[in-house]
Amino acid sequence: MSVYINSTGHFLPGPAISNDEMEPLLGYVHGKPSRLKRRILQSNGIQTRHYAIDANHNTTISNASMAARAAEHCLTGSFIGKRQIKMLSAATSQGDVVLPGFGSMLQAELGLSDIELHSSHGICSGSMMALKAAFTNLKAGEQPNALVVASELTSRLFKASRYEAAGTELDFNAEFLRWMLSDGAGALLLETQARGRCFRIDWIRSFSHADAYPVCMSVGYPTDSNHSQSWQDYATYAQAEAAGALLIRQDVRLLENIVKLGVDGYLRLISEGRVQPDKVDHVLCHYSSHYFRGKIFDMLQRAGVGIAEHKWYSNLYSRGNTGCASIFIMLDEFRRTQSYKTGDTIVCMVPESGRFNNAYMQLTVVEA
Amino acid sequence: MTEHVLSPQGQQCLQALMRVWFEFERQLGRVPLLQRLERGQFSKADYCQLLLNWRQQVIEGSRWISRCASSFDRDYSDVRSTIIGHAREEHRDYEMLERDYVAAGGSLSDIQNAARNIGTEALHGFLMYRASQPNPVDLIGAMWIIEGLGQKMANDWAAQIDKASGGDGSYTRFMRYHGANDDDHMQKLYQLIDRLCQSPAQLSSIVRTARVTARLYCLQLEEVEHDY
Repeated sequence: MSVYINSTGHFLPGPAISNDEMEPLLGYVHGKPSRLKRRILQSNGIQTRHYAIDANHNTTISNASMAARAAEHCLTGSFIGKRQIKMLSAATSQGDVVLPGFGSMLQAELGLSDIELHSSHGICSGSMMALKAAFTNLKAGEQPNALVVASELTSRLFKASRYEAAGTELDFNAEFLRWMLSDGAGALLLETQARGRCFRIDWIRSFSHADAYPVCMSVGYPTDSNHSQSWQDYATYAQAEAAGALLIRQDVRLLENIVKLGVDGYLRLISEGRVQPDKVDHVLCHYSSHYFRGKIFDMLQRAGVGIAEHKWYSNLYSRGNTGCASIFIMLDEFRRTQSYKTGDTIVCMVPESGRFNNAYMQLTVVEA
Repeated sequence: MTEHVLSPQGQQCLQALMRVWFEFERQLGRVPLLQRLERGQFSKADYCQLLLNWRQQVIEGSRWISRCASSFDRDYSDVRSTIIGHAREEHRDYEMLERDYVAAGGSLSDIQNAARNIGTEALHGFLMYRASQPNPVDLIGAMWIIEGLGQKMANDWAAQIDKASGGDGSYTRFMRYHGANDDDHMQKLYQLIDRLCQSPAQLSSIVRTARVTARLYCLQLEEVEHDY
């Protein structure tokens, strides 16, 4: 049985925020402008992004509501309505509430009845894991369709007040993601029946390397810790926050491993015969930063499996890095704005730096 | 990174070697001593223990590579020249390592009289055996791993060791030195891959030797903390 992506949708909250508008909105930590901002923005190449918080740090729309808006956008362009949806598979790195699962909250928000539910939890690759769960469920003949939604509302972590609560000095690893991540949601509709011009999912594969690498991106460990204690281990949440255990961090030193592992996975898929490099027509890669795009390019080139520059598509620069939602938002915009033809092969790649999980997918454009 | 134009066979070999390397890096990531280094829980004594265990392999390294050069016949005289040059450059590196050991607080007689690490025994035994075969083309796979490790030491480990143990670079010279001629060495290696990998059989023997070398190298590092 084949599985098709018959529709896609996205939601980006509020207006596009330029680089100059970021800090006034997120706030000046201890009243001082950031000294790292310019350098990090230069390296990631992002020009505009969206936030679900305003300058007064009110949340303008919840994570579950963003996800619901993206799902509705997706269904608007589909042949089926909410009442026919049989499965919901949802991903986020951090829901509005710690419990219950994000999928439950999204289901209620969307008003879907009697569905089969799946929530996946992780960082950037969470959406691909949610997608794979839906894909295999359909492939096994368990359900005829599934709505897959990924949404992120990380800006709440970037409020100046959060950093101030964690002490006086702001370290590079804690500030790094403030200039990288932003909010948004994307959705895909999967069906076992192709409709119109759509994308057949040929395969989805991921390779996780958490056993061989330390944590690279995290929320929950205090500043300068050996990871023996997490935010849950403090007497009160106030103490955890004061220790910096609620800040989102990237261990920048480890980040370059993502390039090698991304290329490693690609080479594996080639040797398994899943990817034929000369047959790839479009590449959608969720690289978190323009800086890494060059590195991935070079290494693929060196391995002799380079992909011509014109085949790469990304909307990172205008929509921002929205974590696990990025690849869906990218695929949606690709589908709506780019030119592709029946028979084209699309390869999607999502390298996650959390603790190094790399996900890949191949799609073929078909016409029903 | 410069572009390296390789033959199709050489390119396939390079892809396979890259995968062996990535796998090797993951194997290294599972070695407890290196996990502690990653976390910054690594003392000067750990570093001395590492050098103590490393010395023998550096000494033996120049021996197998010299033998490898001499095992190439006249059809490969160009390869022999390259490898002799390489062996000549590195055959006294262990002296630098010994100086680092002393600078880090170790005693020269300790490192000179230390028993061989059993991983080194296995690695050296394997490499000498391969190097003694006629035209040991497959040893390019071993060079790939060892050259890559030299880069990793220079680019990652040296700084991590200094940071964790409060050093100023004065006792990590051996590790840092390996980063100095990286590009040149890698360029030579690419040329060797192109020159030596010309059939599927050669490709698989090169990859196999790279994998064995990687595994035994890891064993050597696992054994650093293994006392009797």
